[in-house]
Formats: sequence, C-alpha cells, structure tokens
Amino acid sequence: MTEQVIPSSLHRQPAKPLRPMRTVMHLVRWATVALLLAFTLIPLIFMVTTSLKSPIEIRISGSLFPSEGVFLVNWERAFRNVPLPRYLWNSLIVGLMSTALTLLVAVPASYAIVRFRAGGRWLPSWILGTYVAPPIVISVPIFTLMRTVGLVDQPFGLALLHMVGNLPVATWMLMDFIRSLPVEVEEAAQMDGASYWGVLLRIVVPLILPGLIATAIICLILSWNEFLFALILTYSLRSQTFPIGISEFQGEHGLQFGEISAAALTGIVPVYVLAMFFQRYLIHGLTRGSVK
Amino acid sequence: MHTLHRQHRREILWMVGPAIATLIVFSLYPLIYSIALSTTDSQLARPFREFVAFKNYTDAVRDALFGNSLVLTFVYAFGVTAIEMAIGFGLALLLNRESGPTRFARTLGLLPFITPPVAIAAIWRLIYDPSSGMLNHYLVGAGILEQNVAFLGIPGLAMASVMLVDIWQWTPFVFLLSLAILASLPHEPYEAAAVDGANSWQQFIHITLPLCLPGLLVVAILRLIGAMKVFDLVFMLTFGGPGSSTQVASFYIYKVAFQQFKTGYASALTIIVIIVLSALVTVLTVLYRRVQMRYGP
Repeated sequence: MTEQVIPSSLHRQPAKPLRPMRTVMHLVRWATVALLLAFTLIPLIFMVTTSLKSPIEIRISGSLFPSEGVFLVNWERAFRNVPLPRYLWNSLIVGLMSTALTLLVAVPASYAIVRFRAGGRWLPSWILGTYVAPPIVISVPIFTLMRTVGLVDQPFGLALLHMVGNLPVATWMLMDFIRSLPVEVEEAAQMDGASYWGVLLRIVVPLILPGLIATAIICLILSWNEFLFALILTYSLRSQTFPIGISEFQGEHGLQFGEISAAALTGIVPVYVLAMFFQRYLIHGLTRGSVK
Repeated sequence: MHTLHRQHRREILWMVGPAIATLIVFSLYPLIYSIALSTTDSQLARPFREFVAFKNYTDAVRDALFGNSLVLTFVYAFGVTAIEMAIGFGLALLLNRESGPTRFARTLGLLPFITPPVAIAAIWRLIYDPSSGMLNHYLVGAGILEQNVAFLGIPGLAMASVMLVDIWQWTPFVFLLSLAILASLPHEPYEAAAVDGANSWQQFIHITLPLCLPGLLVVAILRLIGAMKVFDLVFMLTFGGPGSSTQVASFYIYKVAFQQFKTGYASALTIIVIIVLSALVTVLTVLYRRVQMRYGP
C-alpha cells in the first residue's frame, strides 16, 4: 500500500508551499486577532473613556471616545461618594486570608491524595464534586451557621467561605502538579529518614513552586471577584468587599455611569497588574490541568 | 517497623484532616441541615417553625416560577457553552501556530475572565443602556436599528443580552484551553496522514477532532457547570427581570431565601436543584467515559 502512496505524495510536494496562500492565511489570522481584540477590549476601553467623559456627554452620547474633552470629575465623585479604599482593603484582606487558608488545606491534602491515595476514591471525588454545587445551595445553612458562631460581617468569616469555594479548584491544580513530579526524589529523602511532612515541605513544595504560585494567584483573583457569599455575609464597611461596594453604589445612586466606571476600574486595575506580573504562571497553571 | 507505620498513618491523617473537616462543616452539614429545613415551614429568623413533611416539595413542583427558573438555567448554560466552545475552539484552530498573533491573542485572552463579574456587569449595563448606551449609539448610527432598543428590558432579548456578556467573559478562556489541547496533540498521525495524501479537511475530521474530543469535553463540562451557577451577572444586569424572564435558578432561590425569607421553601428548592445537577453530572461523566474509551489515549 505504501508503495502506491509514496509517489503520489512526491507528486504533490511542489504544490505545497504556495506563497500567496500563506500570505492570505497570515492576513486571515491577523484579521481574526483584530476582531477578537476589538470584541474583548472595546467594553474595557468604553469603561475607561466613560470614566473620563463629562457627565453631560455620558447622558446624551454613547460614543466610544469623548468628544468634549477629558474630565476627572467622575473619579473625584466616585472617591467622594464611595468608600473605595475601604472596599479594596477589605477585598485584599479577605483575598490574602482565604488564599493562605486554601493553600494550608489543599497542599497537604493534594499531596496525601496523590502519593498515599489518602481517602481512597471518595475524598478526591468529594472535594472536586463540591465544585459542581452552585454556592446558593449552601447559603441558608451557612448563613445560619456563621451567625451562630459570630462570623457574619467579619472578613475572616468571608475568607473561610472563599476557602471552601476555592478548595476544589486548588486541589485540582495542585494534584496535577504533584502527580507530574518524579517520585524517586521523595523516596530517596524518605530513605534518609525524612518524615512525610519533611518531604512535603522541603522537597515537594519547592519543586512545585511555580504551580503553587499559579494556584495562589487564581485563588486570590477568585476571592477578589466573588459576589454571592459576600452579598449574604457582609453588611457593613467592616467587611464589605469591592464587588458589594459596586453593586450597592449602582443601586443607591441611580445610574451615575461615569462614577460607576471609575469605581469599577479601581477594582479591575489591581487584578490586571497582578495577572500581568504572573502571566506565564497563570496561563501555564490554568491550561495544563484540562489537557490531560 | 510497626510504630513507624503508625507514625506515617498519623502524618497522613494530619495532611487530609483539615480538608475533611472543611468538607464536613461546609458541605455535609449544610446538606443535612437543608434536608431537615426543607421539611419545615421556616423563616430566616425563625428556623424549624413547624414540621410540614413534603409540603414544600409539592409546592415546588407546582411553582411555575421555579420550573421557569430551571428551564432558563438550562437554556443559559447550554446556550453559552455551545457558543463559547464553537467560537473558542474555532479561533484556536485558526491560530494554532506559535506566531506573533497567537502569543498576542493568548495574553489578551486572559483579561475577561479575571475581571470581576460585577465590574463586567457594570460596563455592559452601560453598553446596553437604552438612552445613552454604546450599542444603541452605533447600531442606530449605522442604520441597523431604527430607534434605541432597551436590550435588558424586553423578555427574550434580555436573556440573550445576559448570555452575550457571559460569552464575552468566557470565550477567551475556552480559546486558551483549546490552544493548549491542540498544542498537546502528537505529530505522528499527521505525518502518517500526509504520507497517505489526506487533505487538511480529512485530517481535521479524522485526526484533530477525535484527538481533541476528550479534552474539549472536559472544557465544555467545566463551562456547563460554571454557567449553571450564574448569579452575579443576573443580579447586576437585570435582577431577574423583566418579569421573570432572566430569573435563573440561583437567583430565584436567592430571592425566596433572602428577600422573602422563606428558608424552608428555599431549602426544598436547593435539594431539587442538587438532584437535577447530580443527574446532569452523572450523564456527563458517563458521556466523558465513553468518549475517553473511544478516542482517548
């Protein structure tokens, strides 16, 4: 069979690298990227330009770019009317606490599950299975429980729930990172008398550090963006996070689009800066788990 | 040797202990509590007021708003997943080559889904605004629309508009994962196909698609599960309206529990939602196993 095929493929050979065809494909590729770029970026650009338009222009025109000059009045008003620094601070505290909690719980658990099959099949299925349930289904019991133990309207209470929400995501990622490590190094360390915890902390954690960073960043972003638990469990400036700040602001002050745009941007910029710095870790960490 | 074994067991127990404790407190306990609460007539401030057996469940079955919210949730989840998969995977096929455009697109693709959904909803409210929104501005300007349209104020259109925001938010994510799946494909089948003289369409149908299928199914399942949870976009964009036309299950339960304070009834609704989702996940898992067996490595 191969004998018949080889000559025909040789025949086709000269026709393959057609230059114009390749140029067209290249153009199509760039055009697609340009379209994708427009669809992705225009809403974000519109938010920036709206925050810089004059309030009157916002009310009469939905053009992408301001035509009557650039104003900072929306930014001033946003910071005057909304306690933005407070919301952002609460978000940061909750985010850092929940990320630390998530890693404290997920790293040893993932290690024990992957290396010692701890909990057999049901523990990993249970942890990952919690990802399926929408957060709303546990909201009533959680609200009652948190009220009983006095953790309503406390940053720590919200951080605890963000840990619960992030646990399946973190475990999924970490299990994959740990699985990809060669087990021989760990075995050698155990021969030398290291305890399991010693191996985990001194060998495994340093080896999966890039994955650990990716996991931490994703937990931080998920917590920063989380809305439902924050809505149910916080009701004062003591613990309200940025998403709640935006939603309340939208409700109370009618629709002051310029101010909302400015306020929303203050919460977006930190995430983008973080993602920019850790871009490689993020893309790597997000994409590898699903490929296998 | 025996004591060593026991010490190791204790170490492992300490490793999984916190995770198990978390699951018991935040997943098992809420489930049992919800089941108990669902058989009572309860208010948020006064739980377990009166035992009513299955009344909440029979009410739920007759509740047209609840049925409607389940249908809307499925329409939303399957709709956005199908569109996001088609566009995301299509783009990845087109840009499946390490080049300037691809790297650029990959960096860009990260942005929407790390943006706080509440902020996303705020931008899109502004885009959809009937009097000064950008969409009306340009669609009317280009003569596509005759007059301004209230995108979030007309029943069917409001649902489509919320779905478009989800598509904006998640298509880049599907695209990123599709690129990773394509990058992980082996070279050998293509070389063999080239030797056999298969054209690029045949290669796509007989090699690329089957090899990608298990990975794509994982992405689709992730998106489906994610979209089933939709809450913040609806809360911010339409608050379930107009009427109940965008009132998805999460949002309806939220309203019953935290605005009408009928927590007993809300618990019955959550149990039904859990059963429905479990059935869906079971079907998806079986589907995944079949695909994995047929096309997997």
